Amino acid sequence: MSETIRDTADVSRRQMLRGIGLTAFMVVPGAAVLSACATGGDDGDTGNTVSNSGDAKNPLGVKADAPLEVVIFKGGLGDEYATQVHEPLYKKSFPQAEIKHVATQQIAQTMQPRFAAGNPPDMIANAGSDNMDNLALQSEGQLQDLTALFESPSVDDPSKKVKDTLVPGAYDVGVIDGKPYMLAYVYTAYGLWYDKNQFTKNAWTAPKSWDDFKAFCEKAKSAGITPYAYAGKNASYYQYWMILISAAKIGTNKVLLDIDNLESGAWTNDAVRKSAAAWAEIGKFMDKSFEGLIHTEVQTQQNQGKIALYPSGSWLENEQKKETPATFEYSVTPTPSVTSSDKLPFEAVRAVAGEWYIVPSKAKNVQGGMEYLRLMLSKEGAKGFTEKSGNLTIVKGAAEGLPLSPGNRSVAALQLAAGDNVVTDSRFESWYKELETELRTQTNALMFGRSSADQFCENMQKKADAIKADSSVTKQHRDK
Amino acid sequence: MRQGRYPFIIGFLVVPVVLYAVFVIGPYAQAFYIATTNWRGVSAHPKFIGFENFTRLFQDPVFWKAISHHLFLLLALPVITLTIALFLAFLLNVAGGSRSGGMSGIWGSKFYKIVYFFPQVLAVALIGVLFQAMYRPDSAGVLNGLLDLIGISPVGWLTQPNLALWSILAVMVWQAVGFYVVLFSAGMAAIPAEIYESAALDGCGRFRLFFGVTLPLLWDSLQVAWVYLGIAAFDAFVLVQVLSVDRGGPDGSTTVIPLEIWRQAFTFSRFGYASAMGVALFFLTLTFAVLTLRVTRRERIEY
Amino acid sequence: MAVTQVETPAPAGPPPRLTRPPRPSYVPGQRNVFTGLSHVALVVWSVTVIVPIVWTFMSSFKTNTEIFNEPLGLPGAFRLDAWGRAWDKARIPEYMLNTVIVVGLSTAGTMLFGSMAAYVLARYKFPGNRLIYFMFVSGMVFPVFLALVPLFLVVRQLGLLDTYLGLILVYIAYSLPFTIFFMAAFFRTLSTSVAEAAMIDGASHTRTFFQIMVPMAKPGLISITIFNVLGQWNQYLLPIVLLPSQDKWVITQGIANINTNAGYEVDWPSMFAALSMAIVPMIVVYIIFQRQIQSGLTAGAVK
Repeated sequence: MSETIRDTADVSRRQMLRGIGLTAFMVVPGAAVLSACATGGDDGDTGNTVSNSGDAKNPLGVKADAPLEVVIFKGGLGDEYATQVHEPLYKKSFPQAEIKHVATQQIAQTMQPRFAAGNPPDMIANAGSDNMDNLALQSEGQLQDLTALFESPSVDDPSKKVKDTLVPGAYDVGVIDGKPYMLAYVYTAYGLWYDKNQFTKNAWTAPKSWDDFKAFCEKAKSAGITPYAYAGKNASYYQYWMILISAAKIGTNKVLLDIDNLESGAWTNDAVRKSAAAWAEIGKFMDKSFEGLIHTEVQTQQNQGKIALYPSGSWLENEQKKETPATFEYSVTPTPSVTSSDKLPFEAVRAVAGEWYIVPSKAKNVQGGMEYLRLMLSKEGAKGFTEKSGNLTIVKGAAEGLPLSPGNRSVAALQLAAGDNVVTDSRFESWYKELETELRTQTNALMFGRSSADQFCENMQKKADAIKADSSVTKQHRDK
Repeated sequence: MRQGRYPFIIGFLVVPVVLYAVFVIGPYAQAFYIATTNWRGVSAHPKFIGFENFTRLFQDPVFWKAISHHLFLLLALPVITLTIALFLAFLLNVAGGSRSGGMSGIWGSKFYKIVYFFPQVLAVALIGVLFQAMYRPDSAGVLNGLLDLIGISPVGWLTQPNLALWSILAVMVWQAVGFYVVLFSAGMAAIPAEIYESAALDGCGRFRLFFGVTLPLLWDSLQVAWVYLGIAAFDAFVLVQVLSVDRGGPDGSTTVIPLEIWRQAFTFSRFGYASAMGVALFFLTLTFAVLTLRVTRRERIEY
Repeated sequence: MAVTQVETPAPAGPPPRLTRPPRPSYVPGQRNVFTGLSHVALVVWSVTVIVPIVWTFMSSFKTNTEIFNEPLGLPGAFRLDAWGRAWDKARIPEYMLNTVIVVGLSTAGTMLFGSMAAYVLARYKFPGNRLIYFMFVSGMVFPVFLALVPLFLVVRQLGLLDTYLGLILVYIAYSLPFTIFFMAAFFRTLSTSVAEAAMIDGASHTRTFFQIMVPMAKPGLISITIFNVLGQWNQYLLPIVLLPSQDKWVITQGIANINTNAGYEVDWPSMFAALSMAIVPMIVVYIIFQRQIQSGLTAGAVK
């Protein structure tokens, strides 16, 4: 297994880009935003400066008896990795410290008001579809600069900096304006997930071209199995990821960069249009009822053998652990090539470091929060994470010797095959929330047959142009 | 010692007035101001932009869509709720016949009223979650499970754009009917039996009795009911949020102004624009309440 | 609203009937058919109301598979484990207790301050009386959504964010319009002679209010207390914004959270168990007090 893991690390050397949050939905859009209000009065304070003392035992100068409050997003990864691994590690270093553990699925709803009230916790796993906007928090001076952490000596080898124990590229995704503000801890791959045993039994193979895909859909359908499905009620973004990935495969990552940079015609680009049209064809195989279901409902149907392919990220296997029968073996395949002239090969995959962990600059125990991250980045911390959450981290070689789950084995193989062909992430999702919201609506309309690919592209372009023209929206830019 | 009149008046008013001014009037006044700014929460100092938010609002198709949904609810919610409630109340009160000598209530009417009224005491948030299971789009839903029994394939209660708002409306009706049954029952019971009797002597059938006697005498209750239901039609936030596809979907076919206000404010940080929507909602509600009371005003029927 | 006539709230139960002459009866056969059909209609609505609630209870004893594969079937066995999980995880009892504390205190405050203000506004002439009265009463049609963001800011500035005190004060402030509207109308109907006699005997204004007027206004106070308890118990929007800490949550927040959790943890039975836990106490309280609740709420509506 260790072989595979090293390969994984190797592939990821290319470029690990900013990830998207994990799955997450809530009934109630948070009282979010109130962060906004947060910034009203007290902007001047930029928080603590934490320096690195060089002391290998306690480089960040943590006060041994200072209490620590840790907030974990309890989604697909669960929260056992915190309660059973990272928090005990911290307790071992600082036995006098009292640790308060908070698990929630509604990060923004519960945390934004606390930022607003100037009373944030010391470390937050800022994930979920209702996560807080890191960029906004940073621009409001709410995020701690993590430079001291990354420059401090590693727990396992004091001669190395923490920064140098990570897979290449992982550090960079958390940098804003030249300084690291976020830690992207989890390594996530996106693709189409299926039950390997179901495929073997039916003598199916994962489709590589779009013709294969459609032929496969016919076959599955005649076997009484829904060939492909996603959850429209709250997870339409799983589907738009696939549309974006296909668009990038048709026309390279530049398609996605143009979208992020609000270039004119970015959405009416031929690549996007072809991708949308191709996916709309697949949509015809989906039962209309999926639009009214939530992600775990659809995922459970897949576990019951009713659905063949499901678009998701690598947290899926762990999220469904309880519902997965013993005969079900998760496996992942890249999205099929749309045309024979696709610029990226079939094997290209979107694999990024994701899941943000942040330390609020106005926390009471900033040093403690950073030390907690340092312990997460130790081999013991990272290995424990993989054991408890079933997901890989960005710590080099940390999963060596661990038995890998079928899903993770498949992710590793996927990445090995992809080589340099990495599909980049999309940042408009957090930069321009309105565009993202429109995309969810348009994706459901497209996939459930209420609009055409042309309408999809035009509607999205209209929204993108409106945002571009809106002077009250601060524009962001990326070059790669 | 006898206390003065004014110290007493002031003493009694000061706490409620201060609370009201601080938590109600103040925020509403501020909201009107915020509606004229481009405040996005990030900057401490919102910029005054006059009526720009309103110009933008009037060109926003989503806003007009939401308004049209409110108009639909404004009409359909009272009409359907009141029709069902009047019908049931009439049955409860008049269908019992002459068992005890008057237009007595039907047997079991107390039981019916207890049952009907019950949804009124449940939180809307809870009802939303409850109906999620009723409306599931596949045959695992309660309604679709029932249809399945008679061989009808599942209906996308909340996934068909032309059906979704009706489904949400049905939940509102479900909750509201019981309240108005009890309200109208009390009104009907207060109508002197002689009126029914003389009507019956004149050869009135039950239906003429209902339209000719009961309905006019309940006019006041009806008017108030309409205003109440109308105000409810301007809300619908929780149900739409919990039940609808993609919060307000599919394709925005169930969205309502409170939901858009929430989205603009709490997802997009457009506090100025959200407040402008709020101001529009404020005037709509006010106009509706005043109009309804004006239009439906008539002479009271004394008895 | 603009209903001008003011009367005491309808007493619980049917009003005393006037003596009535024997009534000409309808043809017996026709009556029975009509009564029978009426029962059919009434039962249909009862079933409509009861089914979602009973179904929720039943589902709490099922397994995930049973819920999805046989939505209408009975549970395969009487399993209580979902209730155990819901009790431990969903923290329903805790949220219930929080809600009882908040609603208890805020209703008490609302009734105290609301009736004080209503009394003064109804019975004392002074400059500004109409203005203050109108200011309070117009609050009945303000959409809460408009005030939400500024309200958050005000509460935060006062250091009351995420405190029960903050939520209680806000509840009181937002319950005042209807309470004052209703109670002022009520006080106006009470006879002035007793109060005047007391004043002549040397009682202060304050004593007259608490010892004479409040007992006289008891029926009105009960109605509006019930109205406020229910309204505040079911409030969802204000706590989401003003009470973010999970330890302090009220029941509606808990229910919304359960729904989210169930989605993540694929544990639908425990969601239904938690919902049932939230519904059961409401049923018990409702059945015990149903008479007061029905008459209280509907009396509130006709004012």
